[in-house]
Amino acid sequence: MRALRIALAQGTLLADTRLALAAAGLATDALAEGGRRLVVPSTDVEYVLARPGDVPTHVAHGAADVGIVGKDVLLETDADVLELVDLGYGRCRFVVAAPTGSVDRSLDEYRHLGSLEVATKYPGVAERHFQGRGMQVEIIKLSGSVELAPQVGLADWIVDLVSTGRTLRENRLSIVEEIATCTARFIANRVSYARDRDRIAALASKLERWAAR
Amino acid sequence: VKSGLPRGFRDILPTEARELHAIERTLMNAFAQFGYVPLEPPTVEFAESAVTVDERRTVRFLDRDGRLLALRPDVTTAVARVVAQRYRAAESTLRLAYFTPIFREEASMGGSEREYDQAGVELIGDASLRADAEVIALLADALARCGLLGADIDIGHVGFVDGFLAELPLEARAAAAVAARSGDLVGTVALARDAGMSAPRIIALQRGLRHRSADLAAARGDAPASSQRALDTLDALRPLLEAAGVGDAIRFDLGYIPALPYYTGVVFQVTVADLGFPIATGGRYDGLLARFGADRAATGFGIAIPHLHQALVAAGWRTPAELPLLVLVPDTGDGTTTLRVAAALRRAGIAVAIGDVAEGAGQDVRRARVIDGAHVEYEGVVRAVDAVVAMLRPGVPR
Repeated sequence: MRALRIALAQGTLLADTRLALAAAGLATDALAEGGRRLVVPSTDVEYVLARPGDVPTHVAHGAADVGIVGKDVLLETDADVLELVDLGYGRCRFVVAAPTGSVDRSLDEYRHLGSLEVATKYPGVAERHFQGRGMQVEIIKLSGSVELAPQVGLADWIVDLVSTGRTLRENRLSIVEEIATCTARFIANRVSYARDRDRIAALASKLERWAAR
Repeated sequence: VKSGLPRGFRDILPTEARELHAIERTLMNAFAQFGYVPLEPPTVEFAESAVTVDERRTVRFLDRDGRLLALRPDVTTAVARVVAQRYRAAESTLRLAYFTPIFREEASMGGSEREYDQAGVELIGDASLRADAEVIALLADALARCGLLGADIDIGHVGFVDGFLAELPLEARAAAAVAARSGDLVGTVALARDAGMSAPRIIALQRGLRHRSADLAAARGDAPASSQRALDTLDALRPLLEAAGVGDAIRFDLGYIPALPYYTGVVFQVTVADLGFPIATGGRYDGLLARFGADRAATGFGIAIPHLHQALVAAGWRTPAELPLLVLVPDTGDGTTTLRVAAALRRAGIAVAIGDVAEGAGQDVRRARVIDGAHVEYEGVVRAVDAVVAMLRPGVPR
């Protein structure tokens, strides 16, 4: 039988992901830190190490059967995959934030000017959120250091991912509203989930038990 | 002159086009064997008619009358409209088949096409389980005739998950159903739990979503009564599928939840190994035609031709054997002899191109040189035209 191909997000999630997979009975030695291989064969499975934002694409196209990636990435990419298990780690929140003490002023501006400028690295999440709120906003896509935008007058508000909120505080930003809480998810390709149900459902059940420990 | 093409559209060159035509002939013949007659809806419909596809995924534009139009995003919508308008009074069963391009707006750089062929059937006006079995058997037969091997047919029932969600408050029920259709099974279960679904029900729902087997007994457990009825329907479907000769390829998959909200009963998808997208999907959609003013039961399926073609080519498939194409090299005369010889060969059923061909489109191309009105040089020997016909069409009596 063909090895089950598992796409894993490189970066901050990987350490906990190794623990989760090991607890589910998979060999993870091959994923040791410092490796340079991107396709890593292991016992019964094959790991594919990808940028977090690419993991849903790999799984949606069936290049990988299953994957582990943050819900934040799933929300932003809106890829057609099955979300099977909430793994609980990598907790962070999508928030709307504004310069501390200026929320009322910007809402007043919104009434007069009819639109707010929102800087973000996550235009998909930001756009859907404000659409759902019925607010007109101009999304300004940035590649990093979004907290900077309100300080230099590039945007009124930001939509960003926060874990502790320290970066917001240090840049004198306060949370206006929470959009979603995000944790790591075990995801599957729709066809792989149908055809390889025994292996994928068994792995999902083990990961679920580990997450509920 | 701009020589590119809009994103997601492409030229289908002769080799691929011949293969697609062969698939089209095979499928339409298979559909005809079950009594399905062809329907050709127009390419453009009013945008508001396109209710089965997310509006962000339809290709839309304004015409000169200021009406918002859409390139046909699927054929089921068109069939629903045709039935409501042209067959309003029909009370017996309609069997319609199609093979036609459809158009979907796709995200840039997503590796997806905006125009591709879809083939399928719609069976209108028969609410029986025998009708569900008929379209599944037809789908299996049509794909087998194309030469597709190793395909699995996964059969589910939207009533199974709906039965669990029906016990939730209205708002949570809608949100959980949306999550389930989008593939967010984590969200479905979390919403159900937050809305007060009991622990045994949660466990039964999760077990059901992971259930894929010919035997449904293990999924019954603590499932609600209406979910049990969905399982009864599937249990009753099994002997019908066996009688129709497709018992072996099927699995019952309670975790299969189609993305479209219009399905009301038995649903199914066809998958093959090593292709990340289903080849065909379908099911019962009894509520859709009522939206067009004709409340009729309906079931059917659509085959994504690019995925079928991809799976066939990956398995080494080629167009079914045809007679070779004969390229006739003219003699030095004014062309009358060459044209006379070509006409004689064609009358005998041989495909002939005069001169040369730059694009053989994957055909078996042979060459012959005209000697005189009754003789050509073929395979290094001067032969009578009749003898060449016999060589190219062995076994065909003259």
